[in-house]
Amino acid sequence: MSDVAFYDFVRGPFLKFALFVFFVGIAYRFFRVIFLGLPADYAKPKGSPPFMAVKKIIIKPTMGWTFNEIFSRRAINFIGGFLFHLGFLGLTFFVPAHALLWKEITGIPFPTLPNIVSDVLAYAALGSLIALTVHRALNPVLKLLTGKDEYFANLLIALIIFTGLLATRWAGGGSYIWLVSLHLFLANLLIIYIPFSRLSHFVYYFLSVGFMGWNAGKRGVSF
Amino acid sequence: MESLYHIYKRRGYTRRDFLTSAIAISTALGLSSSLLPKVVKALEVKPKPVVIWLEFQDCAGCTESFIRSTSILPTDVLLDYLSLEYHETLMSPSGFYAEESKREAMEKYRGKYVLVVEGSVSPKDKGVYCTVAGKSNIDLLKEAAEGAGLIVAVGSCASWGGIPHAYPNPTGALSVSEVLKGKQVVNIPGCPPIGDVMVSVIANYVITGKAPELDSMGRPKTFYGQTIHDRCYRRPFYNAGRFANSFDDEVAKKGYCLYKLGCKGPITRNACATIRWNGGLSFPIQSGHPCFGCSEPDFWDRGMIYTPLSVVSGEFGIKEALVGVAVGTAVGVGVAYMNKKLRGGK
Repeated sequence: MSDVAFYDFVRGPFLKFALFVFFVGIAYRFFRVIFLGLPADYAKPKGSPPFMAVKKIIIKPTMGWTFNEIFSRRAINFIGGFLFHLGFLGLTFFVPAHALLWKEITGIPFPTLPNIVSDVLAYAALGSLIALTVHRALNPVLKLLTGKDEYFANLLIALIIFTGLLATRWAGGGSYIWLVSLHLFLANLLIIYIPFSRLSHFVYYFLSVGFMGWNAGKRGVSF
Repeated sequence: MESLYHIYKRRGYTRRDFLTSAIAISTALGLSSSLLPKVVKALEVKPKPVVIWLEFQDCAGCTESFIRSTSILPTDVLLDYLSLEYHETLMSPSGFYAEESKREAMEKYRGKYVLVVEGSVSPKDKGVYCTVAGKSNIDLLKEAAEGAGLIVAVGSCASWGGIPHAYPNPTGALSVSEVLKGKQVVNIPGCPPIGDVMVSVIANYVITGKAPELDSMGRPKTFYGQTIHDRCYRRPFYNAGRFANSFDDEVAKKGYCLYKLGCKGPITRNACATIRWNGGLSFPIQSGHPCFGCSEPDFWDRGMIYTPLSVVSGEFGIKEALVGVAVGTAVGVGVAYMNKKLRGGK
């Protein structure tokens, strides 16, 4: 198979298949959980569950924002996590090639980043991902919470960012097509993998945090 | 038979002109400057190459490009230098005399002549869709390839099947290398390919007696080793994230990248951005049109000439996403319902 034929396959039928599986998977898991339901609770709420659910979703990300927490106690988690998410989401949506794809899917034009900004984001995301993975492997508590799923997801994401960087910065001559194809191939695997792994937290995070807020509202307690 | 140097002298050119061409050939082929004396010597003493040029399912565009190759050799020298024993578009004889001339050349220069093929080959229905002098194209190709010293497929049709090979491919068009399995074929793809590249490959054969270094798809590495994107003068604008949004966009004239307009430069290997066309004057991207990747296999079937590379071909929009969500919802609700039933409705 020639490199261009492989490129055409990964950016055509394979990407289409991956996106379809992604939407099926996300909706499947979401509604499977929602419709599973919980045993009926007949107790009268002591507070306002919907309000607390929304409040929790909004303020949860900033709840731990104290100087000591961010820069001392959980520096790797906070700074690494922030840089990784900023980099990964920035790259996913605003690198020109990606922005055009999102425009095609959503119909909304996305702004595009200059290469220098994309590069900074990519290095930040890659560096923080490595730091977070090492931290996971060494921290005694996190080690217990970490399984093959996390390591596989981290490896896959790191490879995607790395091949993207290689393709845009260092690929001379014909190797660009192979690298960009590999980048696309791995991204397709990630798109398929997201709904069935803990990476789906980008959707279910809101569900679980909202549920916690809802419960707090029911019991009339603060967070 | 005359050498290139003799032709230069006969036509009134100076030795300096000859040396300039020798340097141009040497540079185009990516040869080290230390090899220049050998190149000059070869062009001084080696006889001009005998070329048999066959045309099958083609438009003669490659020939048009070839005779406008002016960067390496002046046109009058080029047409004198190549001993074109048979070329349906350029030769003056026709009918029996043309075929007889080809047969004689094939016998006389057996094992030495350069066979250039333009256009795809159609073996379907015993080659009835493309015949010359009562012979099918596939028979003509095999017959001429038998005694060729070098076989060169010029253009995307001869290299990959090209436009005739595009869906639904009614004539069952094939590339030259697919028909001549086991033989070395130099592919010079493009629609058309750059004339100077064709001349350089033939000159390389005269100088070294063999084909230039080829990649896995039979293309000379010197000319097809890099993508157009790698050498594009608009590349700094791509790096800076500055793109033209339409053809009449003012910034397109300022050199903004044409990626959004569908440029296929990033996945197209060719020397357009370096050698350029019309004596190095310009190339499509410089003229404001995105590259549509004519030198890559099946470029026509890929379509999406004016669609950005990163956009999913075959379109995946909000409708397809909603279909996916609907399927996922139905399955999710179904599974949840079954789980609930298994738990006794609690």
